Amino acid sequence: MKLARSADDEAFRKRLAEFLEEHCPPEARLSNDFIASSEAGDDGVVSIPCWARKWQACLFDHGWMVPGYPPELGGCNATPSQTLVYFEEMTGRGIPRSLHFVGYAIAGPSLLEFGSDEQRRLAPAAIRGDTIWCAGMSEPGAGSDLASLSTRAERQGDEYVVNGQKVWTSYAMLASKCLCYVRTDPDAPRHEGISALIIDMDTPGLEVRPLRDISGHAEFAEVFFTDVRVPAANLLGELNRGWQITIGALAHERSGLWVEGVAICQRSIDDIVAMARRRGLDDDPVIRRRVAELYARVRGLRALGYKGFASFAQGGSAPEHSLMKVATSELQQELVELALDLQGASLAVTDPGRSEEGGRWQRSFIKVLAATIGGGTSEVQRNVIAQRVLGLPRGS
Amino acid sequence: MDFSLSAEQEMVRSTAHSLFEGQCPAGLLQAAWDDKRAAAPLWDEHLYQWVELAGADLVDLVLFMGEHGRAAAPGVFFASLQAAQLAAPTGLAAAGSATVAVAGENGLWIPHDGNARHHVPSAGDADEILWVAGSLAAPTMALVPTASATLTEVDQLDRLRPMYTVELAGPPRGIPVDPTAFAHAVDRALVTTAAELIGTGRWLLETSVEYACEREQFGQPIGSFQGLQWMLVDAALLLERADAAVTYAAMCVDADDTDRHRAVHVAKAEAGLAARSVARTAMQVHAGTGYTFEHGLHFRLRRAYAGDAFMGPSGYHLDRLGQLLFSG
Repeated sequence: MKLARSADDEAFRKRLAEFLEEHCPPEARLSNDFIASSEAGDDGVVSIPCWARKWQACLFDHGWMVPGYPPELGGCNATPSQTLVYFEEMTGRGIPRSLHFVGYAIAGPSLLEFGSDEQRRLAPAAIRGDTIWCAGMSEPGAGSDLASLSTRAERQGDEYVVNGQKVWTSYAMLASKCLCYVRTDPDAPRHEGISALIIDMDTPGLEVRPLRDISGHAEFAEVFFTDVRVPAANLLGELNRGWQITIGALAHERSGLWVEGVAICQRSIDDIVAMARRRGLDDDPVIRRRVAELYARVRGLRALGYKGFASFAQGGSAPEHSLMKVATSELQQELVELALDLQGASLAVTDPGRSEEGGRWQRSFIKVLAATIGGGTSEVQRNVIAQRVLGLPRGS
Repeated sequence: MDFSLSAEQEMVRSTAHSLFEGQCPAGLLQAAWDDKRAAAPLWDEHLYQWVELAGADLVDLVLFMGEHGRAAAPGVFFASLQAAQLAAPTGLAAAGSATVAVAGENGLWIPHDGNARHHVPSAGDADEILWVAGSLAAPTMALVPTASATLTEVDQLDRLRPMYTVELAGPPRGIPVDPTAFAHAVDRALVTTAAELIGTGRWLLETSVEYACEREQFGQPIGSFQGLQWMLVDAALLLERADAAVTYAAMCVDADDTDRHRAVHVAKAEAGLAARSVARTAMQVHAGTGYTFEHGLHFRLRRAYAGDAFMGPSGYHLDRLGQLLFSG
């Protein structure tokens, strides 16, 4: 246990800082809140702006997209502790790597771990962002209970015929490929009849309908499959072993995701202190105590994240990290509530010219409501922690 | 203290319930979100006549506003009702729709001079504006045509009740209002706002309970999981407590009871806190389903936060209550 970074890690940080100074576009430096700076058209459907595509490719080409990977996959063979330094620097500055996470965070790693040689060749473009991917996971009847998914894939000759529906599929209207989880054996136990297919989004029978969320934007979509014919060679991994891929897909980035959650909370605290000063509330003991209480939680979580990372980096499991998603997402919501309360009777004003920071907190309020829902609700996360971390018995 | 409803009160509530169920369906909220003119028929054909409730007992008005809040009704009724209530001590009465321009930038209904008023609800749809000036000790009021004012819409979370900044080139000569009567009218306005928040919270709670009974995951209704039951019970506790506090405040105002100053602050603070909290619970229970634009949940969520802010948020009313409690 020690506070200071190693000399190697410090040199790594310096190299990254120099790269960012030289190459990071101004658009990527503005993202100081919870909102991806993707653009939305009049119909609310989001698109990936040109600068974001160029920036992701630039990161890849310089070995800064996923530092732990070798250069041909957009990395620089960084050690785990250097990867942590990377997350600290990027999230501390509020710089996004990519505005569509599925390719580099889910599809790429899954292709590399479970793919055939041919499938593995799709990974670099997925990570570089040249190919936009979506992940077909949630369904109308399978949300928290993902293993109950019912989109069917039946083998007919050299093809699978897919029928069913996905929902909450991020960027489906922009994607050219889908990593889609389907039921290939309806008679097997729930977790043992699921497979993963790589489906081209322009396959006949596949329909994408943008899904407006409560912000009015459509970043998600519903995807309908009607007799969609997929070559059998597009099966990823073994037949009926798709559940292992979903777990792998979600675990890949989890060791570092907490850093982003903590960084968002830390920036919120700084901005809340500044807002309290602007509004003349910095002498109010009630406000001071509320800010201090939330600050204490941020700092405690930050320390807990590093503690988990230490055991993760040595190859052990890190139960601390399963706590982090619940804790940081709920903390983000409380910080936004406090930020709204500081604005008094203007707490609901979104008008850029008439609210604090151009209505940033009101937009964040809508956005962070999803933080305790997406990627597994806080309730389901607590079930997992109860059973896997604390060792409590499963309910009936 | 008797909370039981008379036959007439039961009638007010059930009539209001049917009215909003029939005339303010989910589709109207969607339409009014995109174009506020879609809410005009609700006022023109139905709600205009209910402004009379401004002169009724507050306990009756509370019943009506609960249903109004449940429906998250769009349009100019809320503003017209508030204008009529506040103007009641003067005898001023708008011929058509109206709104009330009293607040400064801090949102509080404390009369002041100057050419601008803020947080003015639905001004763009109101025929007339009740312009309040002077001070708490010597308030004045005037009705001016909306056409004579400069309106600036200020975007906010609840687009179904747009808010405006209103400016007059030359403030009108107002008629003086008795300060006690003015304070009484402001109390009515606060309880009216609180009652609407309770109705909004009621819809959020009931809809969440229904959803938890219907939605199945892991082979059973999600409402059978203890974690979810406890969340919903906590929400119900908050809401029921606030609901009773609002009705109590209405009774105090009607009876001009000595406890009414405290009771009104309790009602507005509790209703605001409860509505906001129940809205967050409702979103968590509905999860992805509630996060879609097409679901009616977000209209109520937005109304809950905007309603808390209106006439000062819960934090302000708790501070005022603290002053009352410690000043002996």
